Amino acid sequence: MPNHDHKINKSHIPRNSLFFEKIVPSLLILMGMITICLILFALGVLTGIVHF
Amino acid sequence: MSINQALPFFSTAIMLGFTIYVLQRFFIRRQLHFLFWGVGLAMFGAGSFAEAYLALTWNKWVFFTWYLFGAALNAAWLGHGTLYLLVRKKWVHVITGLLILGSLFAGYLMLQVMPKLDTDVFTTEKLISEQYGTKVLGDNEVAPSDAQTTQTTYRGQEVIAVRGLLPLGSPVRLTTPFFNIYGLLTLVGGAIWSAYLFWLKRVMPNRVIGNVLIAAGALLIGFASTLTRLGYGQFLYLGELLCAILMFAGFRFAARPQPDEISQPVPVAATD
Repeated sequence: MPNHDHKINKSHIPRNSLFFEKIVPSLLILMGMITICLILFALGVLTGIVHF
Repeated sequence: MSINQALPFFSTAIMLGFTIYVLQRFFIRRQLHFLFWGVGLAMFGAGSFAEAYLALTWNKWVFFTWYLFGAALNAAWLGHGTLYLLVRKKWVHVITGLLILGSLFAGYLMLQVMPKLDTDVFTTEKLISEQYGTKVLGDNEVAPSDAQTTQTTYRGQEVIAVRGLLPLGSPVRLTTPFFNIYGLLTLVGGAIWSAYLFWLKRVMPNRVIGNVLIAAGALLIGFASTLTRLGYGQFLYLGELLCAILMFAGFRFAARPQPDEISQPVPVAATD
C-alpha cells in the first residue's frame, strides 16, 4: 500500500496544567449551564411564559 | 455620536475580515460548513453595518437588513455550519432545507411589516436596539422619561405601550426565538462539545482553547440579545464587538498549526 506524506498532530494537552485541568472544564460546565438558561428563556418567550 | 454608537463600525470591520477569511477557505476546500459560517458571518456583518448606518440616519431597508439578518437569522446560519462540521448525516440536508425555507418565510414576514413601521419614533439619539420594538407596559411599570407611549388595543385589552418601530404583535418577532434557539444550541453547543472531545482525548490544546473562545463569544451575543429583548438594548453593541473579537480569535486559534506538527509518512487509511 502506498504511503503518502500526512501531517500527524502530536500536540497534547500538558499534564498537571491548572488551566487545562481546572479552568477549562469549569468554563465548559459554566457555559453549558448558561446556554441551557438562555434556551429556556427563549422557550419561555415563545410560549408566552416570559413577557417582554 | 456616542462611543456605544461607534462600536458597530469596529464590529463591521472585524466581521468583514472574518467573513473573507472563512469564505476563502470554502472556495479552496469546498466544505459546506465554511459556506454556512461565511453566510452567517456576512449576515452578522450586515447587521453591524446596519446599526452603524442607523446611528447616522434612517433608511427602512437598512432597518430591514438589521432586523432580518442581524437579529433573526445570523446565529442559526452560523450554528448550521457547526452542525455540518460535526454531523455527516443525510438528515442535516433536511435541516438545511428547513433553515432556508424558514429564512425565506421570516423575510416574507419582514416584508409584510415594512409598510406598518412606526418611523415617527426613530431617532439617532438612541441605539436601534433600544427603539425597534413596541412594548406593552405592565400594571406597575412606568415608561422611560424619553419614551413615546400610546394607548391601544392588544389581544382584546386596552393597554399602554411604549412605541417602537415594529408594531405590537408583529409575527416576524415570533420567528427570532426559533432561529436563536437553534443557533445557540448548534453554535455554542457544538463548540462546547468539540472542546470537550479534544479535552477528553488530551490532544490539540489549540482547538480546545479555540472552541472555548468561540462558545464564549457566541454566548456573549446571546446574553446581550436576551438583555435587549428585556429592554436593556444598550449592551448589544458591546456584546457584538466582543463576540466578533472572541469568535475570530477562536477560529484563528483553532485553525493554527501546532508547533510540534511534524510531517512523516503514514498510511492513508490511518488519517481519515
